Amino acid sequence: MSALVGSWLERFLGRGRAAVTVPPLDGALKPNNRLEDAPRGLASHAPDNLVACGGAVLWSSGTRLFRAAAGAEPEPVATLDGVISALAVSPRGQIAVACDGKGISILARDGTVTDTGRSSGWPSACITAMTFVDEASLVVCVGSVQTALDAWQRDLMEHRRAGELWKLDLAARTAKRLAAGLGYPNGVVVAADQSLIVSEAWDVRLVRRAPDGRELAIVLDDLPGYPGRIAASARGGYWLTVFAPRSPLIEFVLREDDYRRAMLAEVPPAYWIAPALRSGVSFHEPMQGGALKQMGILKPWAPTLSYGLVIALDTNFVPLQSLHSRAGGKRHGITSAVDIDGRLWLTAKGGDEIVAIDRAAGEVR
Amino acid sequence: MASTHTFTKLRYRFIPDHVIGELLSKKWIDNAIPFLVLLCVIAIFGSLIPNFFGGANLAISARELGEFGLVCMAMMVVIIVGGIDLSVGSNFALGNFMTLALLNLGGWPVGLAIPAVVLICGGVGLLNGYLIGFLRLRAFLTTLVTLIIVRAIVDMLLLKYAQAMSVSFYQSDVWDMIGLGGVAEVPSSFIILVIVALIGHVLLTRSRPGWRMMAIGGSRRSAHNIGLSVRGMVCAAYTISGMLCGLAGVLYAARLSGAGTDTGMGLEISALTAAVLGGNSLGGGRGSVAKALIGAVIVLVMTNGVLRIGLNSGSGPMVLGLTLLLAVFIDVRWLKNRDKLLSKVYVSPTYVELPTPRSTSVETGGAFALNDRLGQVEIIGLGEVESPEDVILDDDDYLYCGTRHGDIVRFAPPDYTSWEVYAHIGGSPLGMAFDRAGDLHVCVGGMGLYKIDRARNVGKVTDETNRSAFSVVDDSRLRLADDLDIAPDGRIYFSEATIRYEMHDWPVDALESRGNGRIICYDPKSGKTHTALRNLIFPNGVCLAHDGQSVLFAESWACRVSRLWIAGPKAGQVERVLDALPGYPDNINRASDGSYWCAIMGMRSPALDLALRMPGFRRRMARRIAPDQWLYPNLNIGCVIRFNDKGEVLESLWDQGAKNHPMITSMREHRGYLYLGGITNNRIGRIRLDKADPNWSGMRSYWGQRA
Repeated sequence: MSALVGSWLERFLGRGRAAVTVPPLDGALKPNNRLEDAPRGLASHAPDNLVACGGAVLWSSGTRLFRAAAGAEPEPVATLDGVISALAVSPRGQIAVACDGKGISILARDGTVTDTGRSSGWPSACITAMTFVDEASLVVCVGSVQTALDAWQRDLMEHRRAGELWKLDLAARTAKRLAAGLGYPNGVVVAADQSLIVSEAWDVRLVRRAPDGRELAIVLDDLPGYPGRIAASARGGYWLTVFAPRSPLIEFVLREDDYRRAMLAEVPPAYWIAPALRSGVSFHEPMQGGALKQMGILKPWAPTLSYGLVIALDTNFVPLQSLHSRAGGKRHGITSAVDIDGRLWLTAKGGDEIVAIDRAAGEVR
Repeated sequence: MASTHTFTKLRYRFIPDHVIGELLSKKWIDNAIPFLVLLCVIAIFGSLIPNFFGGANLAISARELGEFGLVCMAMMVVIIVGGIDLSVGSNFALGNFMTLALLNLGGWPVGLAIPAVVLICGGVGLLNGYLIGFLRLRAFLTTLVTLIIVRAIVDMLLLKYAQAMSVSFYQSDVWDMIGLGGVAEVPSSFIILVIVALIGHVLLTRSRPGWRMMAIGGSRRSAHNIGLSVRGMVCAAYTISGMLCGLAGVLYAARLSGAGTDTGMGLEISALTAAVLGGNSLGGGRGSVAKALIGAVIVLVMTNGVLRIGLNSGSGPMVLGLTLLLAVFIDVRWLKNRDKLLSKVYVSPTYVELPTPRSTSVETGGAFALNDRLGQVEIIGLGEVESPEDVILDDDDYLYCGTRHGDIVRFAPPDYTSWEVYAHIGGSPLGMAFDRAGDLHVCVGGMGLYKIDRARNVGKVTDETNRSAFSVVDDSRLRLADDLDIAPDGRIYFSEATIRYEMHDWPVDALESRGNGRIICYDPKSGKTHTALRNLIFPNGVCLAHDGQSVLFAESWACRVSRLWIAGPKAGQVERVLDALPGYPDNINRASDGSYWCAIMGMRSPALDLALRMPGFRRRMARRIAPDQWLYPNLNIGCVIRFNDKGEVLESLWDQGAKNHPMITSMREHRGYLYLGGITNNRIGRIRLDKADPNWSGMRSYWGQRA
């Protein structure tokens, strides 16, 4: 009873769990324009997952797979039968490709394709990220078993926690569910001690899990945005992509059940008050007060529903530095990052661009 | 679902939430807590004491209240200037003694004795005032000293004259009338109190000395710095306090005709209690006659009530003390939290259901179909003007606009590169119109309606209208005069967007979307201003129809344009012209072909349209998150539409990327060009109109060919 009264009071007064608070971008996360100002860019339609493969980078864009070596033009590698939602590369160069609704295929170095991963019982839909533990086992994040891949905003707005973590044994052709009921696992990386680091987007945190899926610790939480894929950096730390920002208005709407339900039912998804990979495309999108152009200028600190952010973490997951594309910028919706040969490659899914940033040139420390 | 919507609609229609905030913003709401305490005290003692509401009891109480109320007012006057007067009790005793002495021993007539006593007690006050005001002694110590000294004097005098006084007896009808009589059951001392209170109230709230006292109490240093004579005013306050005590003493003498050593004993404590209970702030600067009287009644009812109930002697002060403690506690909390509460409850969104907007999609076509016709706009004054809400051209092709610095800037033809400040008005100049003589009339946000004549003299036309009968906020002042137009007979119709918010709080009004605005008419013949229409939802643009029989006005947050007939058979009637607009209409102006231009300052977004049907959501949003994060109307894109008298939209001009013209608030056609203004912009745009009459100008359309 007292709990009921307490929660009612909290909602009435806007305190406790009903308080709308978003952590500030401060310290290592202090906003800058390094991502927006970075020079090189390869145009690509909604590039999603970027991996390093034999000195070049490989990325997915819709149903197609592209490859580009440093300085070279991108070339198409393959076209698959479904939207490619995740990629992973094994140490020996096998490439795992997840096609949404179809399942996982393995592209060997010699060009042979095995569709073992498409056998029944294995996760096939809404696979958001994968990583090889060794040549024969693959860890797979399923964002949500209840919502389709492209309806991730709905998954968040409906407060779903239907994500799963799987381990596939490619040799034995078995699959094991490591964890379920997660808040949109959206990135996974194997740490030095063989534990799994999983980013749980809707819970805005990184969780360390044992190889068998047990939760060991929350290594980073209360992020200022929704974390996406995570990749090891060349210096032993990690690059964490943040594909959309949190904002007080979104947090508020997440707590307003009546409005949220009505919005999901009546308003087209592109015009929701929800995090997005890109914004400012249509005037039907919601606009917030601070985003009103004054004297012809949109302030970079204006509230926005999309943002570009990638965070460098050290081995203990302490943020070291960050690269931003702020309100009104183009390079929004960063979904993956890869650090090879002194160069940081990023996919700006919202900005339709592959961004490469030279670490040697001092653009990134 | 439908029934909950109907319920919400009715609830917001009939429960005026916004009144709570408006009441809280009133200064007199400070009296609410003391008044509630008063009602409680009366209810409690009225139910405990038999015959409490009987005529005799009320008469006796009222007679006592006459004296006590005056003493409380004496205390209140000094508290207001930030002081305290502990000598009221002794001074009261002195007044009582002197009255009896002058009448009984001196044989003075009543008409002479009373002023004399008032002056004597005023003298004591003057002494206090001189010591505290001019010699800067501490009020508490000084009046404590006067308390003791005056008490001692009274005691000494009593010792000497009490015998003589008790044997003599003063006989006078006037005196009996004051002490025992009254007018139709109302005792005369009460009548005197009411008269003094009324005079005191007027002096305190509506006269210069009263305001100065308040100012000194509020901040002595600031009052000194702005040049008020702090010392003199403080001295005067103590003198007035003394005179009021004297008058109270006279009334006491008239009622009891006896002087004793215990007269007025402890009165300073009761009076202080009453003053504080009533809500007069001991820190000064906050107080009123009403507060003093409310406190006086509470204390009187309680002290008498405790006696009448028959509690033992200590309990009276005990009850008084506890009540004082409670009152001070509540008062402090109230003062501290009033503004917080006010800021929380003032914003009160209401239910708005907008019709489905007309389509703007290119596929379906139609007049609103997106295009880039404003893409090739010529830019005028980029970075040189800020916030040109409206633009207007005179017959010599000069281009005028307002800026947020309060200037009217004029660009010179033909290339509009050179400019000058035509006149400085101040405020935020918004809508503009020329009258027959070529004088420029300007609606100035925060100020009212102003005029600049051809010699560049700025003059006020009007800044107030008639106050509506049942409005809580004072709506006679113009807060946000927005756009105007001038009828052929010279009457000026202008819109006031909202009466609840100031100019720069317009987003809050958008959040509320209540009918807070109005159309006002100024008649230069009579010089009078009156409200023609009220409860409009952010009325914005105003334009006289081509036939001069009606004015068109836009209601921004309601996304519609209506017509008010000002002449002809339908005069006074309102009819809808445009409805279900996909954006928020702003200024309306005439087009050369007999139609009208209307600026659409921003576009509707489905998320906001939905929120408009959920007032609770918007209210919580206003409380929980910062205004910068609020959901706004999307004002980062604008367009201009042209419509005709029948309400048909003929065409639209868009700046899709909003590179040059986000939030178009005004446009003006002139000799084949369309000029664009925007309140958040730092440029004016102009674009050639292919089909427009290249010789048409607004000036000629309104006032004919120049003579």
